Amino acid sequence: MNSVATVAVETLALTSARDRASGGMRGARIVPPDVEQRLARAAAQVPVPVLALENISLNFGGVAALRDVNLRVAEGEIRAVIGPNGAGKSSLLNVVSGLYRPDRGRVQLGDRYFTHVPTSRLAGYGVARTFQNLALFEGLSVLDNVMMGLVHRRRAGFLQQIVGSPWARREEALNRAAAEQIIDFLHLTATRERIAGTLPYGLQKRIELARALVAHPKLLLLDEPLAGMTLTEKQELSLHIRNARDSYGTTIVLIEHDIGVVMELSDRITVLDHGCKIADGTPDQVRADPAVIDAYLGVAHDDEPELAI
Amino acid sequence: MFDYQFFIEVLVGGLLSGVMYSLVAIGFVLIYKTSGVLNFAQGAMLLFAALTFVSLVERGVPFPLALVATLAVMVLLGIAVERVILRPLVNQPPITLFMATLGLSYVIEGAAQLLWGTQVHGLDLGISDTPFDVGGVLISQFDLFAAAVAGAMVALFALFFRYTRTGLAFRAVADDQFAALAVGLRLPRVWAAVWTAAGVVAVVAGLLWGARLGVQFSLSLIVLKALPVLVLGGFDSIAGAIVGGLLIGAIEKLAEVYVGPFFGGGIEAWAAYVVALGFLLVRPSGLFGQKPVERA
Amino acid sequence: MPAPTQFLKLARLAPSHIGVAILLIVAYGIIPFSGSEYLLDAILTPFLALALAAVGLNVLTGYAGQVSLGSAAFLAVGAYAAYNFNLRIPELPFLVSLLLAGLVAAFVGLVFGLPSLRLRGFYLAVSTLAAQFFVQWALTKFGWFSNDNPSGVIDAPTIVVGGIPFSGASRRYIFSVTVVLIATLLTARLLASQSGRNFIAVRDHETAAKVIGVPLLRTKLLAFGVSSFLIGMAGVLWAFAYLRTVEPAGFNLDRSFQILFIIIIGGLASIRGSFLGAAFIVVFPLLLSRVGAALLGNVFDSGVLEMSQRIVIGGLIIGLLIVEPRGLIALVDRLSARIPKFGRPQCSPNQLQNHRQPKGVI
Repeated sequence: MNSVATVAVETLALTSARDRASGGMRGARIVPPDVEQRLARAAAQVPVPVLALENISLNFGGVAALRDVNLRVAEGEIRAVIGPNGAGKSSLLNVVSGLYRPDRGRVQLGDRYFTHVPTSRLAGYGVARTFQNLALFEGLSVLDNVMMGLVHRRRAGFLQQIVGSPWARREEALNRAAAEQIIDFLHLTATRERIAGTLPYGLQKRIELARALVAHPKLLLLDEPLAGMTLTEKQELSLHIRNARDSYGTTIVLIEHDIGVVMELSDRITVLDHGCKIADGTPDQVRADPAVIDAYLGVAHDDEPELAI
Repeated sequence: MFDYQFFIEVLVGGLLSGVMYSLVAIGFVLIYKTSGVLNFAQGAMLLFAALTFVSLVERGVPFPLALVATLAVMVLLGIAVERVILRPLVNQPPITLFMATLGLSYVIEGAAQLLWGTQVHGLDLGISDTPFDVGGVLISQFDLFAAAVAGAMVALFALFFRYTRTGLAFRAVADDQFAALAVGLRLPRVWAAVWTAAGVVAVVAGLLWGARLGVQFSLSLIVLKALPVLVLGGFDSIAGAIVGGLLIGAIEKLAEVYVGPFFGGGIEAWAAYVVALGFLLVRPSGLFGQKPVERA
Repeated sequence: MPAPTQFLKLARLAPSHIGVAILLIVAYGIIPFSGSEYLLDAILTPFLALALAAVGLNVLTGYAGQVSLGSAAFLAVGAYAAYNFNLRIPELPFLVSLLLAGLVAAFVGLVFGLPSLRLRGFYLAVSTLAAQFFVQWALTKFGWFSNDNPSGVIDAPTIVVGGIPFSGASRRYIFSVTVVLIATLLTARLLASQSGRNFIAVRDHETAAKVIGVPLLRTKLLAFGVSSFLIGMAGVLWAFAYLRTVEPAGFNLDRSFQILFIIIIGGLASIRGSFLGAAFIVVFPLLLSRVGAALLGNVFDSGVLEMSQRIVIGGLIIGLLIVEPRGLIALVDRLSARIPKFGRPQCSPNQLQNHRQPKGVI
């Protein structure tokens, strides 16, 4: 980013010098070829992020949930957001999904900027999420739940659906096929006709992930996807999460408390504490960051430079 | 020329009428605040209390004794309701509990009339009918008496909440059920006490309304007037119930007198609801309500 | 394999198809001819009307999770709308009046359903009461609705379809059965489609539904519209096929609660449950009065009957909510699953665990 700024300043200086030289002729902006090349290279190094938060602040009746948080997530990245309880992690996801309106700052999704993300259009933008407390439709079967992940693509009206028009039937068949595919991908085939509310917790978490993945979202927000799971379940689901990124190119932002999993799974980690971002880097960088250690352990760290993980 | 005197008369009448609504709403708030249950059976309890009292008095039981007996019956009812209905349903969603109280209202209404009969009874509390004349404005003595009683009751409750242990327990449970549990408060006992308190409110409200309308089945429908009051005042605020009641009473009467003639009268039936509805669309948790209770 | 299953496989008929065929034969072929006037007039016809109303309310409250306490208002709208279409545009075929009445009810339902976009739970329930009181008042107050009858009473004329008068208990019954069957069938199709799933999604987790892109506005309004349409048509049946003389007082809060009780007793989010609940509500008072008279003799007059009814219904609601919140239909399903039928494997009790929300549709 600094290189771009430098180049930009250089270009401006160059341009105005030329302007003066040519007698102050406006509009004659001639960018020398070598500068042009450098600009292009700089831009290539900083592609449009899939998700960016700019100076996001959020208050709840006097309590600051998020303070001036900045974040950039590149395409195809698996970014973990960690931090002690109450650090603002869920609030961050809720801001990104438009369930909370930030008091300051804006959210960037691809090439769109928002002061308040319109939740109802998230699916259209290719964003999907899961919830901390499970947000399944308990009365629907597994297959129906997963198919719901494609509801934003349905165009046939209710009358067409009642009558069973060819268009409605084709949409239904297509969505069903896509749902079956994801169900296979996540090894849920055996239970697909079962009512979601009757299944055990670990399976339900997977169903919610399936529903989020079925539309091949560009950005996937996971709020504690592994909470309450056994070790085996965690390993399986972590694998599924990584496969989702590898197979579909989905960018993933996840909140998770299990630091071991986080270190294994993520490309980069952002650490929040009391609403502020206190660290942002690769797992190794974060592991050794004294501010992070402080936040988690709350003690002086003179003789323990590294989080023993 | 705008008849200010008449306007004030209608307004005062409406306000005082509203106090009566508040009385009923307070019973709701007590229960809702401490257990999250919207007790649709409050009206039936009102009817039951009034019927019991009136029937005892008609059978020759002296007034004070009948009052005590009725209070005792309502206490027993409160305990029974907590034990038989609330405890088994303790983890169900609020709408299930509401439907259970709907069923309860049917049971109480049926039982009350099965026990005491379905005729209309008059109830005389010894207040005369002649209105006071305050500077040309006529104010009903009865309404004033009712307002005084309501005021006294609210004051007593305020003292109760602040200075007694049970009152403190109510407030604790209303604030945070889990914390209250952690501190060692026995929730079932508190709830039984709360329903009993609501029963006491039902007795007071039942007697006042019974004196006004006669003790008959339609008393249980007063509960329907309390709902808009709760909407305005919030489901969990006694102050809100009072202010809401005053507002609804006043608006209802004023609407009936000034807007009613355009529609041929009778808009009292729904004016309160439409007002509440309009209000809800602007402020879904009411004037005083705190928790965002199931709004979109 | 037991013989019946082989036969069915040969004929490519599922057990459910047989069931439907038997139902149709009984409904059209047997009952109209062998049923007594009493059975048809006092039991089956009201049962059908109430069942349709219950299906309508179930769509809104059971499937879409929007609580409505004012359903009787739409019964009234349907009845009075059909009466007025019939009266003032005599050229209109009755079936068209029926459909138009349903549409009018749907429109009113949409208007009173708009608050559902901002309100939920108790608050929504309170706003539906506004519909109840307003409609009752309007029908009594404005004589136009009842052709200037002073108390708002209307006398429904004989149903005439294609020149054939449907008078007499048996024909009115057949009319009702046909309307209810077709309406229920179409509703079942709606509930099995994406719209039905959207209803359940909004009911079970509105926030998640919003996030994944379910069109909340359209879904809720559809629920209100379809529900009111069905209840409106039920109101036409109530007025034209059953009572034939109706007044606004018959569409009061008690009636709204009656329909609500039907779907709670029968089973929320279950079409079969709606029919079961309606059957119960219709038959129960008759049973109670027989039993009461037998046990208590003279003491059991109509007043006592009414009060006892209230107590038992109320008690039943409470009991069901505690023991089997999914209603009678869940009990029926559990019992029938233990009976081996046509080679169907016996389900172990574990597989039919008690969980709060039942699967949608049937």
